Amino acid sequence: MKIRAVAFNTFKEAIRDRVLYLLLFFAAASLIFSRILALLTVGDKTKIIMDAGLASISLFGVLMAILMGTGLVYKEIDKKTVYTLLSKPINRLQFLLGKFFGLMTTLFIMLGVMSLIFIIILLLHSGQITWKFFVSIAFIYLELGLITSVALLFSCFSTPILSSIFSLSFYLIGHLSWGIETLIKKMKPGVTKFLTQVVYTLLPDLENFNFKTEVVHNLPIPPKIFLFSFFYGIIYTFFILVLSMLVFRRRDFI
Amino acid sequence: MGLKLITDQIPREKVPGASIIYIPSGKYLKYASFGYSTLLADLVYIWSIQYFSNTSVPERFQYLTHVYSIISELDPQYLDPYQVGALIAIYDAREFDTAMEILSQGLKKNPEQWIFPWQAGHYAQMILKDYELAKKYYKKAMEIPGAPPITKRLYSNAIYELGDYETAWKNWLEIYKNTDDERVKKIASNHLYRTKAAMDIQKIKHALKKYKDKFGQFPEKLDSLVSQGFLDGIPQDLDGQDYVYDRETGEITTAVIPWKR
Repeated sequence: MKIRAVAFNTFKEAIRDRVLYLLLFFAAASLIFSRILALLTVGDKTKIIMDAGLASISLFGVLMAILMGTGLVYKEIDKKTVYTLLSKPINRLQFLLGKFFGLMTTLFIMLGVMSLIFIIILLLHSGQITWKFFVSIAFIYLELGLITSVALLFSCFSTPILSSIFSLSFYLIGHLSWGIETLIKKMKPGVTKFLTQVVYTLLPDLENFNFKTEVVHNLPIPPKIFLFSFFYGIIYTFFILVLSMLVFRRRDFI
Repeated sequence: MGLKLITDQIPREKVPGASIIYIPSGKYLKYASFGYSTLLADLVYIWSIQYFSNTSVPERFQYLTHVYSIISELDPQYLDPYQVGALIAIYDAREFDTAMEILSQGLKKNPEQWIFPWQAGHYAQMILKDYELAKKYYKKAMEIPGAPPITKRLYSNAIYELGDYETAWKNWLEIYKNTDDERVKKIASNHLYRTKAAMDIQKIKHALKKYKDKFGQFPEKLDSLVSQGFLDGIPQDLDGQDYVYDRETGEITTAVIPWKR
């Protein structure tokens, strides 16, 4: 109940944020531009539209998660409204989870709007859409959940600018960590290889949520990938939220 | 706005095609794409179409293989660039080896795609007139499931052009017997006519040469070849008609053009 109340208020606050609509506008423009970009190619135009469209939804979704998420807790602390909130019978965990779910609800709606625009563009162009498209969107949402939890973590102890930089770095590292896997395969067995493997295991691998290639080329997706990627996302998000809780619990607001 | 319009009209020296120097290796570009490698491949491909169509860029084909290998690294399953890259290499750059390199890369990354060896065979046949090479590529295409039936016909035609009439006849007969399509049956029938004619004409010409070597001139009629023991019998075409013999030149031709039967 309390988590729901905080979530609802967070949602109401987030949905009124002008930054969100600015990003939504650029996302819509980007999606429409994909249709124009397709005119410049020789060959499969649908591929260009799919690539540009999915990339826009993913990129603008991440920007929304980072820009909104990094201010979630910080704003409450900065405006001192956190004192009022925590003086009520609500514990810090409920407060954090409420913030998290409130932003996730906002992102769900934004993702829904972007996806709807994209579906309309696709249907007007080719008249067909596969189930893999919806799977890709679902995993983009899962990735946004993880990014939001990271933004929330940094928001608990850092300023919005630094939190944005850290969250963006997390996102970039998450999409580069597959390169470490390639490096490990080429390394000789030893301490260095072991340490690199430890680092690789700890670092996030956001490529697990990236099914854009499979959607665009209509490639088969092994069912195991869905299950393991889903649980990886959920567990990693949970882990980051627990970290946020530990940080926030020890936070002194003076 | 007025300042912008004025600035736009000031001529500035540009080096055509200078943007090529900003294109790094595909392998490193994939790392820098942060999960958007397929979109990056699309953008590089669209850019390449504009770049290679710009006739004012000198030696623009110098980096043809490099640019298309970048796209291949970023998105190996993107099929259009391999085909368009090969097309540019053949028709604009006139570099057959580059076209084959691009198509081979496409086949290596997409072994289930028959189109790449098929296209290579097509270029070998139509541009180079290298039927040995065309035969090799068409055979490769035939081995890939999903290759269209015309591949076997092109393969058989390449064998005919190489002068292996026995194998060509066997292939065309197989095509004729295994199809229910009347149009394909007609095509196969015409090729069988042409192949038999080639075999028969080869046999008759061989006998005519032996006759001329012995008697110093070509015979009055082809029957003389039989009576003199150079041939067991005078072959007829697939429709049972006699071949046309020119006594002056010793040339043998079919009574009808195969495609107009």
